[in-house]
Amino acid sequence: MQISVNGKIHNVDAGEETPLLWVLRDHLGLTGTKYGCGIGACGSCTVLLEDEPVRACLTLLGEVENKKITTIEGISPESNHPVQQAWEELQVPQCGYCQSGQIISAVALLSETDEPTDEDIDEMMSGILCRCGTYPRIREAIKLAARKISEQRINQ
Amino acid sequence: MRSFSPDRRKFLKLSMAAAGSSLILGISWSCTQDTPSNTDNQSDNFSPNAWLRLDPDGSITVIVAESEMGQGPYTLMPMMVAEELEVEWDRIKVEHASLDPVYGYQLTGGSGSIRKGWSTLREAGAVAKELLLGAGALALSVPVIECTARLGKVVHNPSGREVAYNELTDIAAKQPIPGTAQLKEPNEFTIIGQPVPRLDVPEKINGKARFGIDTKLPGMLYATITHCPVFGGKPKSIDASEAKSIKGVKDVFPIDEGVVVVASDTWTAFKAKEVLSIDWEYGNKTRISTESIINQLKARPLEEAQTAWEEGDVETVLSGSNAAVTAEYIQPFQAHVPLEPMNCTAHFKGDGRLEVWAPTQSPSSAYDTAKAIVQSKIERGLKKVQKKLLGIHDDSIDVHTTLLGGGFGRRLKQDYVSEVVQVAQRYEQPVQLVWTREEDVQHDHYHPLTLHKMRGATDENGMLIAWEHIIHGLKVNASGAATLLYDIPNTRVLVQDIGAIVPWGPWRSVAPHYNIFAVEHFFDELARAGNNDPLELRLKLLRDHPRLSKVLEIAADKAKWEARPNGAISYGAAVLSEWGSNVAQIVELAETDNKYFQVKKVTCVIDCGIVINPDIVKQQMEGSIIFGLSAATKSKITINNGRVDQSNYHNYPILGIHETPEIEVIIVNNEEEPGGIGEPGVPPLAPALANAFLSATGKPIRELPINIESG
Repeated sequence: MQISVNGKIHNVDAGEETPLLWVLRDHLGLTGTKYGCGIGACGSCTVLLEDEPVRACLTLLGEVENKKITTIEGISPESNHPVQQAWEELQVPQCGYCQSGQIISAVALLSETDEPTDEDIDEMMSGILCRCGTYPRIREAIKLAARKISEQRINQ
Repeated sequence: MRSFSPDRRKFLKLSMAAAGSSLILGISWSCTQDTPSNTDNQSDNFSPNAWLRLDPDGSITVIVAESEMGQGPYTLMPMMVAEELEVEWDRIKVEHASLDPVYGYQLTGGSGSIRKGWSTLREAGAVAKELLLGAGALALSVPVIECTARLGKVVHNPSGREVAYNELTDIAAKQPIPGTAQLKEPNEFTIIGQPVPRLDVPEKINGKARFGIDTKLPGMLYATITHCPVFGGKPKSIDASEAKSIKGVKDVFPIDEGVVVVASDTWTAFKAKEVLSIDWEYGNKTRISTESIINQLKARPLEEAQTAWEEGDVETVLSGSNAAVTAEYIQPFQAHVPLEPMNCTAHFKGDGRLEVWAPTQSPSSAYDTAKAIVQSKIERGLKKVQKKLLGIHDDSIDVHTTLLGGGFGRRLKQDYVSEVVQVAQRYEQPVQLVWTREEDVQHDHYHPLTLHKMRGATDENGMLIAWEHIIHGLKVNASGAATLLYDIPNTRVLVQDIGAIVPWGPWRSVAPHYNIFAVEHFFDELARAGNNDPLELRLKLLRDHPRLSKVLEIAADKAKWEARPNGAISYGAAVLSEWGSNVAQIVELAETDNKYFQVKKVTCVIDCGIVINPDIVKQQMEGSIIFGLSAATKSKITINNGRVDQSNYHNYPILGIHETPEIEVIIVNNEEEPGGIGEPGVPPLAPALANAFLSATGKPIRELPINIESG
């Protein structure tokens, strides 16, 4: 099967029912997408499928053929997406394990909402669990990233 | 500056054999603080435990032996070295120490890293700076007394000539360890005390950070394990025919802890695990349940309890009082559920070496575990692997510590290491073992269930005159309960321990988590019984603990305790003094229109002595409050028929962003010795919340977690 991840086409020798999570991690070596629960309850495996956030542990290989998949490794060329900048500026990560899912979800939120309210943030991010408790900084970093994105637009 | 005489046995200067070499400084330090007594392998021999390396390219590398699980040692330990070395922070790199007996016992826990490293790491920086100063003076042909170390250079003050550290590594490596060196006074610090960015953040925002589960080795096989659902059970017989028919499944076999599937990838192993048909020998724990454990705790005669603390005559005062107050609190088992599930990778190499890649809080314990497996297998004479195993020597086991996707105490246990070593010994290829989340939740080493029986009495003025706390539980102790900090004339703390009848493990903040809840909530019950404001009474009875009363006063001031509104919002406070730190937290609980409650805000004040990095202290307080709030309002492990009822985040929920209150953290600055920060922020949260509920409803909390919707 052929899939497109971060702008590259890959041939994958796996069954159609294989979750995208394990295709990414074990077949393509893209380990930035994390396994946390396997039932869509923690959000650590969140990736973008045609720019929409999906849980890669519940998304089957057969469903993603010829669709655009973006993982944490592919959201910016030099770790400089405004969300990543905000994450670094506000020092969000602690252990860091859930942060790929957090960042991908924040990218998805900001692609559809210019100025997310607290309710918007809750709605998009409530399913992405963090055991270290980085939530207060995630909330602030999303708002900072939103300001960065709007500044970029003005400058352009 | 103050002078000290470096202990020459403590510092070892090494230079690489090759020319153009690096300056490497080995440091020996005591790590008794967190070392379990039975594994303490301290000796008088030189035992370097942290290393500083100056490379000719100008980079300065601090090698850290503490596990990075989010709590910050990859940044905090290098900060202490860089401060005394007089270098710019942005030149500092960090590497994880490999496992070597010369490093001493490597174990990260007990909020001990900073307290352990405070003197030694600064001394290491200071000694290295002294060596470089001497080398710089030689290079410039000037007296050392005329030189200063500044921003990675040795400067000759009269002439302004200077030479960079990295040009001095060769000469410095030939200098003797200096007889005296200088340590800065706190008011001279330029790095310590600053919110410098964490060194591990850049790789944690782009997917490049490598956790244990991200270990990828050529030809690696993937394994998973299913443990007996009943604690302590073993596989009797296995029907693996369906599992083995799945493409990519290599093998299915039992090991001591359960049944293993080995496959070409993780998902194939997980799939095969689901279709295994196993007949288990359940063993003798099938009748254990939460209820049976509580009954067992309640039935235990008081005579069997151990006295942890006794002062005055509690019994006489209580029996003579007509205002005695009693309470019982039950706190449930808790699981750790770090987001990275248990995993480990091992490879028995052709040359007889065993390499282990482990996300572990104790590489030394991982090593001991691996060695024990290897040796016991040899003793049991398993012919198939004997030849290979006989090639394994004590010094031929390497443990590589990866980043940890959360620890919280779970990764002080090495069960995953034991398992993967048993599996890997059958193969030439490396093997990675990954547990499913379900195995993680059901086969954790749990924070114990506890029952606290409290009795207390007040005099006619509402002052506390008697206090009794009996702690019942599984492998429990009195830490956090005895010595009681409050000035009460008659106090007694007893411990009634029934042992680890279900798997037990340290869980972030360990015994103070359950004991501080009981102490601090009962304090409010007694204060109210005596018509006292709990905050005022606390301050009165903590007068001999100025650092603790100060954090409480600041918290009350910041949270506007005096001016708190009537009715709509209720306040609760709790304090803790453990791990060398003092913490006060105030919870603001709002009652909404529908008689529901919501935690609006938590104000947290910490005095952890000298602050190494205020932003990391703040991170730890934020994270601790959220960790504490999960346990106080959501999480609970229950047991029936010897099995854990919960299996994943849907039925063992932890707090989400939408449930996270506003958190304000205030750090008290002073010049006391640094205290721990990983754990002290957890225990005060639950009692502060319970006290806010008591204030709101008039009803004390008897069991955790609190039903946040109704109290």
